[in-house]
Amino acid sequence: MTGNSGNGGNSSGIRVASLDDIPEGEGIAISSKITGTEDDIAILRDDDGTCWALNDTCTHETASLAEGWVEDGDVECPLHSSRFNLKTGKVDGLPATVDTVPHRVEVRDGEIYLFPGERP
Amino acid sequence: MTVSSVVVVGGGIAGVSTVAELRKNGYAGELTLLTIDPFPYDRPPLSKDYLLGAKDLESIALQAPEWYSEQRIDLVPGLVVALDPAAGTVTLSDGLELSADRIVLATGGHSLWPDVERVVTERLDRPPAGLGIPRSTTGIHTLRSAEDADALRHVLLPGARLLVVGAGLIGAEVASTARKLGSEVVLVDPADPPIAAAVGTQVAAWLHSLHAVHGVEAVTATVEKLESTRAGVVAHIAGETEPRTFDAVLLAVGMAPDTAVAKAAGLEVDNGVVVDDHQVTTHPKVLAVGDCSRRRGHRRAEHWEAAVHDGQRAARTILGIDPPAETVHWFWTDRYGLHVEVVGEMRSPDGDHQTVVRGVVGEPPFSVFTLRGERVIGAVAVDDPNAVRAARRMIDRGVDVRASDLADPAKNLRSLLRG
Ligand SMILES: Cc1cc2nc3c(=O)[nH]c(=O)nc-3n(C[C@H](O)[C@H](O)[C@H](O)COP(=O)(O)OP(=O)(O)OC[C@H]3O[C@@H](n4cnc5c(N)ncnc54)[C@H](O)[C@@H]3O)c2cc1C
Repeated sequence: MTGNSGNGGNSSGIRVASLDDIPEGEGIAISSKITGTEDDIAILRDDDGTCWALNDTCTHETASLAEGWVEDGDVECPLHSSRFNLKTGKVDGLPATVDTVPHRVEVRDGEIYLFPGERP
Repeated sequence: MTVSSVVVVGGGIAGVSTVAELRKNGYAGELTLLTIDPFPYDRPPLSKDYLLGAKDLESIALQAPEWYSEQRIDLVPGLVVALDPAAGTVTLSDGLELSADRIVLATGGHSLWPDVERVVTERLDRPPAGLGIPRSTTGIHTLRSAEDADALRHVLLPGARLLVVGAGLIGAEVASTARKLGSEVVLVDPADPPIAAAVGTQVAAWLHSLHAVHGVEAVTATVEKLESTRAGVVAHIAGETEPRTFDAVLLAVGMAPDTAVAKAAGLEVDNGVVVDDHQVTTHPKVLAVGDCSRRRGHRRAEHWEAAVHDGQRAARTILGIDPPAETVHWFWTDRYGLHVEVVGEMRSPDGDHQTVVRGVVGEPPFSVFTLRGERVIGAVAVDDPNAVRAARRMIDRGVDVRASDLADPAKNLRSLLRG
């Protein structure tokens, strides 16, 4: 997957991927080495085409949300199907009980820019 | 009459899902959750990370401790011994009586004992008081509660000899965890392969073959007699001339619903407290959810997610709002580091179905679909959970698919869903 080419700092965001890299309903994980955050960040593309970003590790057990099923404003964890709201990171379905952290993303000219630590 | 008080009996996932769904949908009345556990915790880890010692009880709590007060839920410790449906009361073992407009039974179940002759020649010493180590004094264990898991973990030392009776989901998970802990494991089951009805024969046979790969001796037989002695548990396995001695035995032959209170109250009980499509029992004030219940005309589900959905449905029935969308049943199980998910039925009742493999059985990730005509009716996936998520939506939405498309790993399953 595309790395951090053109890391312009947080003011313009980190370019993490092209929109075409992520099919609708899927996601990719961006390493914490690139994002500078504690956890990796999952870039998730809803089935309406919009892009969102959440901490990648499920708050329930160790699983990558980037490998989850994205649909209707939620991502479903690949391990036990906990659901998190793409916009707010809030738990929409058990077994997870702890909300996750959302990050701001912006799409410009078909490129996805991530603003780690900024709220959407 | 609007409902202004609800008592839920049993703090497993079904009971907790019921109270959560009530509050989520604006229920503002009194809400009491009764349970005999120290606090509501999750059961699936009991055979996995909790048994392994990688998780403690707090980390498998179903909700954070403060959640109950935030949600204004009275979490009351206690064992319910009697129910009076018409009066709307439950009685606890200490004599306390609680009344409510609606009572929800969420009592789960207990492990079954197989039909095995048992002899206790000599009991083992009890551990010294105060150590906090629960221990079976007969060397024979079952696994349903955290206490059960604590007792079992206490004996799963490196080199300990464990006999697991029953190679179903829980038996296989414990065998896998016990190997990780360094114990020697013999796994006995008369079925060959076990769980074929749930996951299909092909996948069941491969999953079962993993036991030997991981150093577990899998024996196709029944256990006829278990004798508890000071030297250990002496097991007589059918077809073997010499009995074998084990440090511990786990009986993992299934569960039975806890229905005693419902039965004594005159509610219909038939392999579970019988409920209608709204989780209502044969008395309109009493509902039942989760492993203790069975929907009329359906098989009793014994899985985590089914218990969640039951709780949600019951809450919505109480509030008089639309039930959640129906979905085909789903469960997961983990063994030897592999994550297995199953949705729907791998066999049609009349045998009129086709099996479609995506990938190669035995080389994860792979998945197997059961098709009836052009409709998916079930799927099993090993380390490929999104195949099961796609299958579930194909089933729920009644999407027509072609076997050749399912079998082609290059075909995106989501695109098949879009039709
Ligand atoms: C070891 C193990 C591993 C499992 N692994 C999986 C898995 O991997 N995937 C999966 O899908 N499912 C799994 N399951 C099944 C799943 O855990 C159950 O389906 C689920 O726990 C059912 O929830 P429940 O709330 O109906 O019942 P329970 O979880 O049994 O809860 C019932 C509660 O009611 C309490 N209670 C009972 N009687 C009374 C009374 N008279 N008064 C007060 N309280 C009472 C009990 O103490 C208990 O807390 C597993 C189960 C076990 C035991």
